[in-house]
Amino acid sequence: MGRSSSINAFLIALATGGGALLNFTIPMQGPGTRLTYRIRVIEPASVAPRILASGAVSGPLDTDMRLTLRSDSVEVEALFQITPIGDTVNLGAEFFTKRRVGRSRRGLPVWEDDTYRRVVRLAWNDTARVYPFGSSRRGAWVELILERAFAGGEARPAEEFDIVDTTRDFRLEAVVRPRRAHVVLNLVRGDTVSAPRPIDLIPEEPPRIVQLVLGRRVTTLELSLTRPDPPRSDRERALAIDADVVCLRVVPPDLSEPLGVMCGKLNNVARQLPLPNGDTLAATFAWPGPR
Amino acid sequence: MTEPIHDQWLVQIDAELDGELSLVERAALAKHLATCVHCAGARASQLEVRVALARSAGNPHAFVVPRPVIRPGTLVLWVAIALGIGLLAGWGAHQRWGGPGSGAPLEETRGTIVVH
Repeated sequence: MGRSSSINAFLIALATGGGALLNFTIPMQGPGTRLTYRIRVIEPASVAPRILASGAVSGPLDTDMRLTLRSDSVEVEALFQITPIGDTVNLGAEFFTKRRVGRSRRGLPVWEDDTYRRVVRLAWNDTARVYPFGSSRRGAWVELILERAFAGGEARPAEEFDIVDTTRDFRLEAVVRPRRAHVVLNLVRGDTVSAPRPIDLIPEEPPRIVQLVLGRRVTTLELSLTRPDPPRSDRERALAIDADVVCLRVVPPDLSEPLGVMCGKLNNVARQLPLPNGDTLAATFAWPGPR
Repeated sequence: MTEPIHDQWLVQIDAELDGELSLVERAALAKHLATCVHCAGARASQLEVRVALARSAGNPHAFVVPRPVIRPGTLVLWVAIALGIGLLAGWGAHQRWGGPGSGAPLEETRGTIVVH
């Protein structure tokens, strides 16, 4: 009896310690945790505030959210990012604002550009209220709730946005820097297309040799995935416009000079590169499946 | 009925002191002044004002009120001073309220995040 109770105590301690260890490690594992930004765009009204739009953006823990609100005289674009710290989370927002401040002598609109950053700390599932049009708190505001859940290997971002008032110009986008990209390659010559060759590539990893067969001819290419050049404008940098853009560098195996570089978003749109032998290489970038 | 006539005599006094009346008009005025104490007093007042103006112009023994003389140098100086003040005021106003857009402080127009 004494021996079995000591074994039970040991098992309980092991389970408790393991649970604590699991709690500590799971938030660190990006792919295992799914982050959701839940938002509502609300406008003050005389009787009760009116919901103009609602939606959610979800993805792996490093998912950012890009929110755009436009009116005749103001454009607010903001990129929200989070940094989890235990049970709390740091919410950072990079704002890029354009305000129409008048007209020039020639009658053209004059806009004022402003870029700034805001950071607040909140608990998971708390509500943050974002006043995008200024601290005077006039105009619409955005209610933002950050949620996290365990979600296996789901790495693809998802967006849902329901605009109640369709006269307004609102947009909500998930921004994720892909760790992998699913690339489907085809060789095309006239009406003939080779069998699709799917390949998962990781940005900045060493080049991989791929053989494509069109008719009876085998074409060998060295492929590597890279990130695009750094953004040139402040707006592109602040809003991470090209976060989900990858570039496929195509090099013949016996040469160091590339045949070309194809850049694009992971949106299933084929990009084409003419090869010296007369064939055309078509590459389609997509999000990789869960694994 | 007497008021308009009295006002007309005052105008005549002014014209007489400026040497703009004919002999006939001057005779009529002298005749009226001999009978009207009020108009005679007004004429004396007008003359005292003219004496004061002549003194302030630096010529108390003048026969007529000297006309003010504007020297070109003084005029240019005052125009330059006025232009300078105008430019300074315009620059100051532009610094304070100038440029397109509202005058609200920048931070008030920027977005904020409040945690509830």
